[in-house]
Amino acid sequence: MSKILEIKDLNFSWGNNHVLRDINVNISPNELVAVLGVNGAGKSTLLKCINRILKSDSGSINLLEQDVNGLSLIDLSKKVSYVPQSVRTSFSMDVFDVVLLGRRPHISWRISEDDRDKVSSTLRSLGLEDFSFRKFDQLSGGERQRVIIAKAIAQDSSLLLMDEPTSDLDLKNQLETMKSLRKIISNKDAEKSALIAIHDINIAARFADRILLLHNGKIFASGTPREVLTKDNIAEVFSVDAEIIDNAVFWPGGSDSLRVIIKDEITSK
Amino acid sequence: MDSISEKHIENSKFQIILILILVSLTFLLAIFAMGSGSSSNLDMLTTLKIILGLENSNDLQSAIIWELRFPRILMAIVGGAALATAGALMQGCLGNPLVSPLTLGVASGAALGAAFAIVLGFSIVSIPELAIVANAFLFSLIVVGIIIQLGNMRSISAESYILVGIAITFIAGAIVSTMQYFATDAQLSQLAHWSFGSLSRPTLIQTLWISVFLICLMPSAMKWSWDLNALSLGGDDFAISTGVDPSTTRRRILILSAFLTSIVIAFTGLIGFVGLAAPHMSRLIVGNDYRKLIPCSAVFGSLLTLFADTLGRTLFAPIIIPVGIMLSIIGGPFFMYLLLKNRGVNS
Repeated sequence: MSKILEIKDLNFSWGNNHVLRDINVNISPNELVAVLGVNGAGKSTLLKCINRILKSDSGSINLLEQDVNGLSLIDLSKKVSYVPQSVRTSFSMDVFDVVLLGRRPHISWRISEDDRDKVSSTLRSLGLEDFSFRKFDQLSGGERQRVIIAKAIAQDSSLLLMDEPTSDLDLKNQLETMKSLRKIISNKDAEKSALIAIHDINIAARFADRILLLHNGKIFASGTPREVLTKDNIAEVFSVDAEIIDNAVFWPGGSDSLRVIIKDEITSK
Repeated sequence: MDSISEKHIENSKFQIILILILVSLTFLLAIFAMGSGSSSNLDMLTTLKIILGLENSNDLQSAIIWELRFPRILMAIVGGAALATAGALMQGCLGNPLVSPLTLGVASGAALGAAFAIVLGFSIVSIPELAIVANAFLFSLIVVGIIIQLGNMRSISAESYILVGIAITFIAGAIVSTMQYFATDAQLSQLAHWSFGSLSRPTLIQTLWISVFLICLMPSAMKWSWDLNALSLGGDDFAISTGVDPSTTRRRILILSAFLTSIVIAFTGLIGFVGLAAPHMSRLIVGNDYRKLIPCSAVFGSLLTLFADTLGRTLFAPIIIPVGIMLSIIGGPFFMYLLLKNRGVNS
């Protein structure tokens, strides 16, 4: 299969604030790409432009060789699923029904047996089967985040967009969730990819095939975790002093044996 | 089939049974209501036999049942269902549990139309009997049209729709108050009486026509069930990620809700609370899945309105308390309960 996502010269502004400048990104099947950057670097904006939650000023976004603006929202949501940073609920539903919303692009009105089973298997794969018939608004922040991830997975799209999907999770669930995602993305038969905005450098180093480092609305660095997560890049983008330990730890199932230890903030350059 | 899927199907079946029980209760209450009133009280079995033509009734009984009680009972069932459906739709598409069909200025528009007809004698139709009805219907739609047009000019949020609705309510209210200030006592009395909301106003023919319109309109709400599930659960961004266009969906649902509401209140006057309370009561039974919430709200709306009207007719018989007042008496405490419950959740 050719590229899953191709972004060319993407620009986006909030009024006079130029948030994204000439962004170019390609994502191939079975690739997990992490987007790193400080708060306000444009990580979430990039994901929202791809998903048409926001309309870009210029540039093109092609998904499976189709311009996203030429797709109906239903067709777009069959190809791309999205996990927002948080979900503000007005009315609650059972967890099963929330995950079932991921099947909404595939069904007209009636739920098929396959749709139900897809939801059940997704809940089981993320260890959420005990929550299936609990109310969504009665779950903790981390549990809700896992349910929304389950909804995105049940959507069965080619590209998963995730905005800080592990921010509310405890350490064990961070690892379990990322391992589940890695497994889904690595499945050569499914040919899925993921673009994940994340703050945890070590999670990105461990699970991502490539990292995009956003700085001032531009791609500051792009490549494998080893290529991008250098002491100089981290100092320039995050203004922190970091120690990079290569091959220091064996990550079972990880794509790169790299570890970043943040030592202190850099107060003056 | 997976055990989780089986449990989901079982839950759905149970909820459908609960809706059918509500339908049965409404049916029984309707029979009771047909036989109850200030005169000619009949037991339910006799009433049912008369309705089915299995028992001969005298002309008076027949006239009371078919000409007096049947139109208002049919209006209670259909009108209550329409207002409750509109309430469920609006709460879902605006993502706000405190919204009711009267929130977006529909009521104030209808009141403005009625005031124009009663105080100024201005009407869009030349038939005197339909002057108030036509004005109330048209003005309430104009008000909603203005709000939706403001939404089209700039893609406003769900909250903005509500705020614009409140602003227009104040403006329309001020105009009505100004007219009341210059109105005669008779006009004031007529306007106040209109605002109470009563199911006895529409004639049998009008009620049948209203029923046909509403029965045609209400099922169309069902096709937005999935969209409403997404919008009401997670807001606009979440809805877009499941393929829902929030602006278009919201606009269409508001137009449908406005029609459902306007058709009813133009004929009956203001009937509040059923549109707020029935969807919330239904959520306690079937949850927030709009595929079941819409029919359940409709049935609950019918039941609640019929109950309030029957109570209003029989409690202080021969005095009849208008259904709008009875619903407010029942709905008011429930509304306060909701506020207190929400305060607990949010704090």
